[in-house]
Parts: sequence; C-alpha cells; structure tokens
Amino acid sequence: MILTVTLNPAVDEEYVVPEFRPGGWFRASQVNRSPGGKGINVSIILKQMGVDSVAMGFLGGYNGGYIRDQLAKLGISTSFVHLRGETRTTTYVVDEIGRVETGIVEAGPYVPESALARFLKAYYRMLGRCSSVMIGGSLPPGVPQDIYRDLVHMASVRGKDVFVDASSGALLSAVDGGPKVVKVDHRFMSMVMDVPLLSLDNLKSVAAKLHDEGVPWVVTSYRGYGDLFSTPEGVYIGEVPKSRVVSLFGAGDALMAGLVLAFQEGMGTEDSIRFAMGCALEDSLHLEKGVQSREAVDEAARNVKVTRVG
Amino acid sequence: MKVADVMERDLTALWEDSTLLDAVEVMFSHGLSGVPVVDEDYRVIGFISEKDVVRAALPGYVDYLQDALVIPDFGQFQVRLRRAGKEMVSKYMAKDVISFQEDDSDLYVAMTMIRHNIKRAPVVRGGVLIGAVTRAALMGRMMEEVSS
Repeated sequence: MILTVTLNPAVDEEYVVPEFRPGGWFRASQVNRSPGGKGINVSIILKQMGVDSVAMGFLGGYNGGYIRDQLAKLGISTSFVHLRGETRTTTYVVDEIGRVETGIVEAGPYVPESALARFLKAYYRMLGRCSSVMIGGSLPPGVPQDIYRDLVHMASVRGKDVFVDASSGALLSAVDGGPKVVKVDHRFMSMVMDVPLLSLDNLKSVAAKLHDEGVPWVVTSYRGYGDLFSTPEGVYIGEVPKSRVVSLFGAGDALMAGLVLAFQEGMGTEDSIRFAMGCALEDSLHLEKGVQSREAVDEAARNVKVTRVG
Repeated sequence: MKVADVMERDLTALWEDSTLLDAVEVMFSHGLSGVPVVDEDYRVIGFISEKDVVRAALPGYVDYLQDALVIPDFGQFQVRLRRAGKEMVSKYMAKDVISFQEDDSDLYVAMTMIRHNIKRAPVVRGGVLIGAVTRAALMGRMMEEVSS
C-alpha cells in the first residue's frame, strides 16, 4: 500500500471566469470544489487509476468534514488526526480566456502538541503496512519546521521509497531525511541556491547538489510544458504537447502520483518518466482535477517526448 | 450486499498504551461512538466504546443498580473521569471484539450488531484493521435500496 501525508490539507475552490482582472466583479461560469493538498491529490489520482492508498494528516472543522466525506465516497482509506480548528480553503481563479490562474492560500489551523504526537505514533505504525510514502505540501502552524526530515527518516530507515513535493525550509529539511525522489519548487530553489533556474545547466547543477546530499531522483519543471528528471541513469527532459493543455491546475500532483506508481510497479527510468508525464498530461487535458483512468493515462503517455540531456 | 460496500475506510485507532482521555479526545473530535485498539501491526486487539469510558468513570455500584441516578451530582462524575482518564484503555476496552470481514453480508452484520447492541465495529482482513461499519451506515444503505 502507498501512504500519502498531507499535514495541511485544503478544500480547493476553483472559480472559472471569462476574463479576470483585479478590482472587478465576476460571475463564475464554473465552480469546482474538491479535497486538496498534495498528498490527498496523489491519493485521489492513484484511486482514479485503481490503486489503493491511505491518506494521513490533520483535518478540522467543516472543511475537514467535507474532505473526509469526499475521500470516503471515493473509497480511499484514511487515518487523519482531527483538530479543533478549521482546515483551510485554497481559492483559485481561472481566467478562461487568458488561461491565467490566480491563487489565494490560507495558513491552516494550529496543530497542538498532543495532536502532533498522535499523528506521529499513527504514522510510525502505518509505515509497517506501506511500501512507499509520498509527503507533500506546506506545514500548518504549530508543526516543527523540520518535521519532514523526521517523517522521511522514519520511513527511509524502514526501507520505504519516500517521495517529497514541498518548498521552502520543509523541502530542505526533507532532503536530510534521505528521500528517494524530491520535486523541487522552482522559485524557492532559485532563491535559496541563488541561481536563476531558467537555464538547463543551472537546473542540472541544482540537481547535482541534491544528488550530493544523497537524493537519487530530482524532478523540477523545465519551461512551461516540460519537466527535468535527474536520475541515477542520466538527466532527461519530459515534454508534453502544448497545444492540448487546457489547465495545468494539479498537473504537478498527477506527475508525482505517476512517479509513485511507476516505482511501485518497477518501471524502468524512461518508462517511469513517460508514465509520470502521461499522468500530468492527462490531468491537464480537462478542467476537472485528476485523471480519467489508467487507460487514459497510458494513452496520454504515448504523446510524451522523453529526451536524454545528460 | 457485502459490508465492504458500506464500511468506512477509516483507520482511526488507539493503542494499548493510549489513555482513556486519549479515547475521549478521539471519540469527541472524530464524532465516533467507539474506536478499535490495535497493536503495532494494526491487528485489532480490543475496542473501546463510549459506554466503556462512562463505566470507568462511574462508581462500581452503578453497574449493580443499573441506574446512574444514584450519583449525587455530575461534578463527581467529572472528577472520577479525570482520575480514570490517566489509565490505559487496555484496562477498560472489550477484548473479545466483535469484528467483521469485508465479504460478510450486510444482513449478517446488521443482525449481529443489533443482537450485541453495538453501534460501530471494526472490519478486518486477516485480523488487521481495514475499516469500520456503523449501524447508521447500514440503515442508510438499506433505506437507499428501499427507495430505489
């Protein structure tokens, strides 16, 4: 079984408006509400491909109840610690014409020490039931900034493949725990590494630094419609056809879900990249979050171009 | 219909060394009437219900009299609950747990729950917790079938 961890889940509210601009009033042509947070999204996408996982983290209040109910309807196993506060809402405005997305995120509820202790105990025991772990997203208030290091370490010393998709200090601390795969947030890493990450050489050098820290796989976005995969077998760029993309909302989570499943199924390096990019492409072919099916992902993967660049 | 079609895939659980206060916190925050107690491998080793917690906080003679009206005031109950709250759930949990398999029929599960007067029970695979079934969920599903 695959374990996903979302310490700071969110209800994603997506408003589609014809031509969005600050200061105006708009009537949404479409509103989509769904459970969100990187780990939860990965659990949902895995389920859409027929793969079981268990989702863990913290939930609270009305939004927490909504996420719990939605995951239950989808038949996803859960083990969340419930809080007295309210799980956050993340609001996205999608400009239908300009195809531009604007997002507003909240901080999330405070996690008291007792809730954190309950989570850690449940997490440790749940590791015994799982083969791989995907950890992602921001940290809620009250949780130590270096918690990802501990979560990754607890899993990696027990022989689990750990996948991390995070930014800021959370990502840096996760690297210390020994993950198998990290997805690097572009903007933050350019800030921390003090190099503009626009050129391929700069991206490769950042990946090399993370390899030196012991991370075998590094994934980061490359230009608008591609991703760079720096792996033990070489450096690759996966690209999808730009013309078919409708919305990139959630495509990064689909990519991670694809990689987790590819590792679970023992795919080779290039096939893993193609499959992960196929997930991202299939997700981006429609406004609805997630993928249609495993078959649809396999079909989309045929349109992915994988090029070795190092 | 199988119980797998109606069960919650909720793996919320307590451990042998969890306290009664932990149990109360989990029941309250999750809105559950009872919680499975599991070992390190998530094997179900007990079940603690609201009734078990209340019983732990009431004087022993209430059981004999079968009436809580003999308690002079609610404050006394709170004091006893706070004291008992530090004790392990393993002391008060039901060890002879009524649990179900995924492919048990809804009718069998409903009848067993009614016979034993339980509201929530664990669903296991090889003894390992994989979810829980409630009387309310069973009734809800039966009503859906009747109306369809």
